[in-house]
Amino acid sequence: MIKVSNVTKKYPARLAVDDVSFEVARGEIVGFLGPNGAGKTTTMRMLTGYLEANAGDIEVAGFNLLTHPEEVRRRIGYLPESCPLYLEMRVDEYLWFRAELKGVGLAARRAKVNDVKERCGLTEVGKRIIGQLSKGYRQRVGLADALVHDPELLILDEPTVGLDPYQIRQVRELIRQLAEEHTILLSTHILPEVEAVCERILIINEGKIVASDTSENLHRMLHSTVLLEMEVQAKKEDALMELDALQGINVRECNMLAGGWLWIEMDAATPALRTRLFDLVVAKGWRLRALTEKEYSLEDTFVEITQRAKEGAV
Amino acid sequence: MKIFWCLLKKELRTCFLSPIAFVVMFFFWVLMGGNFVWLLYQLANGAPILTATQLLFGGPFISFSLPIVIPLITMRLFAEERKMGTLEALLTTPLKISALVLSKFFGALFFYLVLWLPIFIFAFILAKFSPSTEIVFPDWGALFAGSLGVVLVGGLYVAIGLLMSSLTSNQIVAAIAGFAVLFCTFLAGVFLAYTTANPVGRMLGHYFSSYTHMYDFARGIVNTHVIIFYLSATAWVLFAAVRVVESKRL
Repeated sequence: MIKVSNVTKKYPARLAVDDVSFEVARGEIVGFLGPNGAGKTTTMRMLTGYLEANAGDIEVAGFNLLTHPEEVRRRIGYLPESCPLYLEMRVDEYLWFRAELKGVGLAARRAKVNDVKERCGLTEVGKRIIGQLSKGYRQRVGLADALVHDPELLILDEPTVGLDPYQIRQVRELIRQLAEEHTILLSTHILPEVEAVCERILIINEGKIVASDTSENLHRMLHSTVLLEMEVQAKKEDALMELDALQGINVRECNMLAGGWLWIEMDAATPALRTRLFDLVVAKGWRLRALTEKEYSLEDTFVEITQRAKEGAV
Repeated sequence: MKIFWCLLKKELRTCFLSPIAFVVMFFFWVLMGGNFVWLLYQLANGAPILTATQLLFGGPFISFSLPIVIPLITMRLFAEERKMGTLEALLTTPLKISALVLSKFFGALFFYLVLWLPIFIFAFILAKFSPSTEIVFPDWGALFAGSLGVVLVGGLYVAIGLLMSSLTSNQIVAAIAGFAVLFCTFLAGVFLAYTTANPVGRMLGHYFSSYTHMYDFARGIVNTHVIIFYLSATAWVLFAAVRVVESKRL
């Protein structure tokens, strides 16, 4: 659906996107993840033709963006980062205008507008002025606009930014529903969001794609170790010293809890090391109340990947 | 073409809904009223009725106010879209940038022409109450020529204001830049045409001073070279605006 090859974008002061290539297949939901300023928005703007790349080729649905920009735009529904809308217009007016602009014929327009309003939960607010709507509703108007011409590809730039947790859940639910019929590329810097919605993750940092895989695979690829969590009652210095001495254990974090308890998080070479830990606790006469294996969060993965990319670059 | 109409409808709606439009309209109509009173005063003091259209269209109150009024109408055209980010939403739909620029141009020009509508009321009043002696008002030819002048000069001014608006995301900057360009060329034209003794300067001034052109139009003089000057200059400025909007994508 999307084929980006060796795309570079330079701004006067800096290199925003540096020789990026990736592909998105039809029907996929792909999360575009990266810290702020990593080049997500720039890449999306180039895909939609708002910005022009300095080098490289972009193909959407088999059309080259340079030679057939209108064909490409016809097939893309785009929700820009800040969700720009005409605040003085009413919701109905706005969607009607956008549908007309995107070439939805008069015969189909009313049905189309009503359909997207229903899907985005806007039926009640059709007569309201957009400027008086809450951020959550505006975001939905933006989404409805992206959908109104029934595009094959949806590009959503930070679709949940600025929403409250309840609205975030609603928007995610909507995206999941949309995924049944559309190819979706969405960007975010919120990690749980990609895990919640996306099948595949593209990680971009400092203008370069540093990883592209499912989230499970990314975990597996990065972490040959497992994450263990333990709570013991012991002196902090003693515990750290003893754990350091153990082969295959690497303490990540150690916090004091109330009542002399310590909370320790560590990387272990294998899950079987838990028995060694238990033996240690018994031998030292400490008290133990928790010892579990945990999942690495995507956050850890992300930090690790960007870190590795940086080291690789140096 | 369809997209152009769609954009034009939107543009007109925005234009007539914006509060600044009504403020501009109010002040322009006050000026026009003042101009009419001044005209009546002149006529009452023995000015021939022949000069009525001249004063109606080419009165100094109005001529000097145009470099301020027009940038106030055009300042929001692109600057607001840029600031609000809606330009991104527009340019990612399958529209042609030329259609966008033209729709904004004609929308603003239409609003500007609406500002001029009271002129017909004034003309009606003059026609109704002018003494039916040897020369009658209105002189339809002069009225038509004057209107043509309003459209042509207004077109170029609006195009320049639009170009300034396309260069920035700040409406104030757009308005002041438009004002600066229009006022400088306006004054340069007037000074060259009326205050220099240098014949080349005078000729040049007469060639591009909109004040002189308006004065001629209002007397019923329609010069083809003036028409061509306005049409080509407007087209050129609009083309520049299209290129500016395109180039900001780089």
